[in-house]
This record gives sequence, structure tokens and C-alpha cells, in this order.
Amino acid sequence: MIIAVGAFALVLLLVAVLIVVIYNGLVRKRNAVENAWAQVDVQLKRRHDLVPNLVEVVRGYAGHERQTLTAVTAARAQALGAHGLAEQASAENALTGALKTLFAVTESYPDLKASQNFAELQEELATTENRIAYSRQYYNDAVLTYSNAIQTVPANIVAGMGGFTAREYFQAPGEERGPVQVRF
Amino acid sequence: MTVWFAAAAVATALWALLLLVLAIATRTPDITPGPPGAQPADESPAVVDLITGGWRLCDEAASATLLDLAARGAVQIEEVGPELSLVRLRQAEGLNPYEQLVYEHVRSLARDGVVATGALAEGSRNLGRWWKSFRKKVIADARRRGLSRARWSRAHATLLFAAALVPAALVAVAVTVADTSADSDRDGGIGAGVLAYAALVYLAGRLNGERGTDLGVQAAGHWLAVRESLSNSRFADKPAASVTIWGRPLAYAAALGLAPRAVRSLPVSVPADDRRAWSDYGGMWHAVDVRYPSRLIWGRPPLHAIGRGLAAGFFAGFWTWIVLIVLSAFELWPRALAQPGGFAVGLAIAAVPAGRALLDLTGQTQIEGQIVRLRRRRSGGNENRPKYVHWCAVDEGRGRELKAYGMAEEQWSRLSEGDVVRARAGRRVGWIGEIEVLRNTAHRGHYADTQDHLIDAPRNLGEVRPGWGEPDGGMRS
Repeated sequence: MIIAVGAFALVLLLVAVLIVVIYNGLVRKRNAVENAWAQVDVQLKRRHDLVPNLVEVVRGYAGHERQTLTAVTAARAQALGAHGLAEQASAENALTGALKTLFAVTESYPDLKASQNFAELQEELATTENRIAYSRQYYNDAVLTYSNAIQTVPANIVAGMGGFTAREYFQAPGEERGPVQVRF
Repeated sequence: MTVWFAAAAVATALWALLLLVLAIATRTPDITPGPPGAQPADESPAVVDLITGGWRLCDEAASATLLDLAARGAVQIEEVGPELSLVRLRQAEGLNPYEQLVYEHVRSLARDGVVATGALAEGSRNLGRWWKSFRKKVIADARRRGLSRARWSRAHATLLFAAALVPAALVAVAVTVADTSADSDRDGGIGAGVLAYAALVYLAGRLNGERGTDLGVQAAGHWLAVRESLSNSRFADKPAASVTIWGRPLAYAAALGLAPRAVRSLPVSVPADDRRAWSDYGGMWHAVDVRYPSRLIWGRPPLHAIGRGLAAGFFAGFWTWIVLIVLSAFELWPRALAQPGGFAVGLAIAAVPAGRALLDLTGQTQIEGQIVRLRRRRSGGNENRPKYVHWCAVDEGRGRELKAYGMAEEQWSRLSEGDVVRARAGRRVGWIGEIEVLRNTAHRGHYADTQDHLIDAPRNLGEVRPGWGEPDGGMRS
């Protein structure tokens, strides 16, 4: 009888240890996702902050490209007001498209291209785009690792009990999850 | 005869004594740390690493050089996440040769001007040659600054090499006199003398190295004082990206062994990890985990896998049959089922590899991607005819975990890490049948070799890790 109780207690202890280990692992992975998202968010905010300066500089040299400038401003506003990762990814993609159009338009303005202020902003935006691409890849990798963890046996049981819910990838609907390269 | 051998032994001992005396006379004097509060001088971190490390260059020198380039704006190090930082190329002007070497390595890996820090160990450069070139360039700079010099001067070397002729000649005479066989043409003595001379010259060469000049000792003392000052700044936990804040002091801290975290995150001069690879397939650097599965079934040609499966099935079935016969003797198993039982077990054991191999033989799939790891490991044979298994891991851009495939040596030897390839492979037994290179690697890392610094800097000077670039280290570069 004592042996049976002891064995039962040992099994219970092992199960408890296993649950703790799995739970802590899931917490670490969830934190990694949140940390990765914070990195994406920092870069997106940086881009949002750069856009008004860019628009102002371009307006000074190419004021009659109103349609293009309005499109950029509207895309930025849409990105700022987006809710949910899918919507935000779509809005950010739209902003990237609008910026590409803007940079294409600036090719026709030699004075603008010669402006040091513009060149610095363009360089800064290109760098930020690159950082966004990397941080986005990093975030999606973290989500993949987390998703695999919460969906596989036996961690899925602990995930269900601990309220570990699935996280969204940072991608627009219908978009392939993979590297997104943008060159201005 | 004995007299000649005794004379040779005495001459060798005297020559060794001369070597010892010269070695003691040419030791670098003891270094006394300078007064506290010293500020960094204008030596580069790599030179600082050399003179504060007993005139031996350490692994940290290359990482410290990259940090210095970041501090001076030639590159930028940015942190994207806890495990991901980027090195971004900037304008580089006025770099000295070893800084240029590091910069060129980064540039050879950069995609759109960016490389992940973890990927700095990648590329198809020959790491041993790269390190040798780096080391010689650093030494050249140290000598130009009057901080370092070769241990043996020309006079020392001439004296040692000339003196070595005496014991070598006595060995030659002793062996010649001792060679009394009738059919001998008595040229064994000359061979022994040449061998003895070569051995003594080699020994003198092994003891050669770099030593500090008076100015170098003074500078080393100054830098030890700087080290003391920097040790209060807690650089140990600072990431490489913090060079943006700390600037050159972080680079010097790395060279002085005070910033291990930053050094570890910039693996410029260390071999790439077998199981953790960095790939830029798809345009952006990302890490992939590479597995080399057990070769019970995986990584063998399909016909070999079938053969092994049948052999395993035969042995398993035979021993099961024996066991069942024994069990039936104790009436624990029906005698009539002993043979069918053994047959069933053998069939089950053989069916798995044979079935998988047959499926691969009939339907290989096409894989396309970038080679991220090429490794070979010894799998048997003897010293004269070793056998190797050749592994090739291809990043297809579909996931972050890869299984390496086995392949034939003649195909493997034509490939380089970084090549974009198309292959026909069996995904069930992991064997690449055909492979073609679509695009050669862009990471060849062209660099100025040692030609611009043909200095007398013996190989034993730096702490080159044994096995770099060697198959036993599993590395092809």
C-alpha cells in the first residue's frame, strides 16, 4: 500500500515538474514573440515619423505632385489607424507602395535629388525599410516557434490550461509569409 | 664509433644550450602596468590585442577590429532582436590593411549592404589563410609602430643555423662510421645529417615568434592601465550594438578581453557552427538549424538502404526465430509459429528501409535552394583508406529546420557553401542523386592574401585553432 502511494506521489511529482518546465518554456516563447513585435513596432513608428518630414521636403521642390503626396499622407494615416496585424500589414504595404511611387516621381526633379536633406531622408527611410523587413522576419519566426510549441503534444495541454493563445503572423491577407525586400 | 656518437650528442646539447641562452636573452621584458586613469592611445584594437596578449594575437582581435570599424562609422551595428543584430556597411575610407580585410569579409557577405552578425562566420573563404593574412597584417602594423619585432634577429638566426651544422655533421660522421654493412654505399650518414640539421632548424623556428621592443613594452604597460580603467565600465554584458553608445572604448575592451558578449556575437574569425547555419536564400539573412540524422536509413544511396534493410531483417528474423524456438521449448510459444514469427519480424524490420528506398528510387523529388552546410565525417576505413560520409544541407526557404542529405564524394567536392543548386533527391532516405549549380556562391570573400606583407612572422605566433579548415573539423571552406 505504501509503495503504491509512494509510486503515485512520484508520478504526480514528475507530472508537476513536467508541467512547470513546459509552462516556463511557453512563457519564454510568448515573451520572445512580444519582444519581437516590440522591435517591429519601433521600426514602424520610426518610419511613420520620417514620412511627414519627407513629404515636407518633397513639397518644397515638387509642390504640384499633390496627388502623390496626398496618397503618401493618406497611406501613413491609414497605417497609424490600423487595427489588428493583418490590417496593419496591409496598410504598411500600401505605405511602402506609396513611398516607392513618391521616390519614382522625385527622379524627375534634379534639384530635389541634389538636396542633402532629401538624400539623408531617403537613406534613412531605406535603412528603416530594411530594418522593418528583418524585424518582421524575426517576429514571424518567433510566432512560428511559439505556434509549434503550443500546438504540439503534450505542450498543447499546458497551453490550453495556461491560456496561451495563437498569435498572428505579421502579413497581409493572401500574402506569402517570407522575406519582403523593398529597395528605394 | 661510440666516440662519434658521444661527440654528436655533446654538440647537440651545446647547440640546445645556445638556443636556450638566446631564448632567455630575447624574452620580452616583464610588463609593468602604467599609472591608473590612463586613456586609450592611438594604437588599433588589434595591435592592442597583440601587445597585451604576450605578443600573440587572439581570436578577439578580428571582432574588436569590426567593433572599431563600427565606432568609426565604417559599418553600423544594429540590434533587431535579442538574437539578431545586423552589420550595415557604410563609407569606409583610410582603413589599414587588416581593417580592410575585415571590412571586405563583411562586404562579401552583405546582401543589400547588410549582414546578420551571426552570419559573419559564413562564407566560403579559407579561414586558416584568412586568419594568417590578418595576423601578418597586424604584426606589420605593430612593427611599423616600433612595438614589436621578430624574436630572432638576422644575427641570431645566422648563428643558430650555422651552429646547427656542427652537431648535424657529427651525426652524419657517426652514422657513416657505424654503417659497416658490405653492400652499403655509405650515404646513410649524409641523410642522417640532413635530417638532424632539419630537426634543429625546425626547433629553432618553433621557438621563434614575436617579441616586444622597449617601446612595445611601454605601450603594453600603458594599455594594461587602460584595461584597469575600462574594467570598471562593465563591458562584459554589453552587446555589440551598444558600440553606438560606447564607441571605441568598447572595441578596446573587446581587444583587452573585457567584452566577451560583444566578441561572441561577432564571429569574424571562428569556424561556422555545424548545426546552426545562416542563409541569405530569399534575400535576407536568417538562421536555420541543420540536423544530420542517424545513418541507419538516412543519407545512404537507395540501393544501399535496401541492402541494409534486408540484412537487418535477416538478422532480426533469425534471432527472433531462435528465441521463439527456445520459448516454445518451455511451452511459452506455439512451436508451429516459431518460423512464421521470425519471418514476420524480419519482414517488418526489412520493410521500412526497403519500402522507403523503393519509393525514392521510383519517385525522387526536385529540391532547389542554397547550400548552407557541406560537411564530411569519417565513417570508417583505416588510416590509409579512410571512408567518409558526405553531407549537404540545402535551404529551400520553406522552414527553419533542415535535414542534411547524403551524397557522393565526386558531386560533393564540386560544391561550395552558398551555391544555389537544383537537385534530385529522395526525401525518404535522404540521398541526393543528381545536383547542378545554378549560381555560384557570392560569398567567396576575395581578399588580399599575404603577398603585401611578406614578413617573417612564424606560423606558431598566433593562436590558430587546430583543425581549422580540416575535414575532421568537419569544415570545407
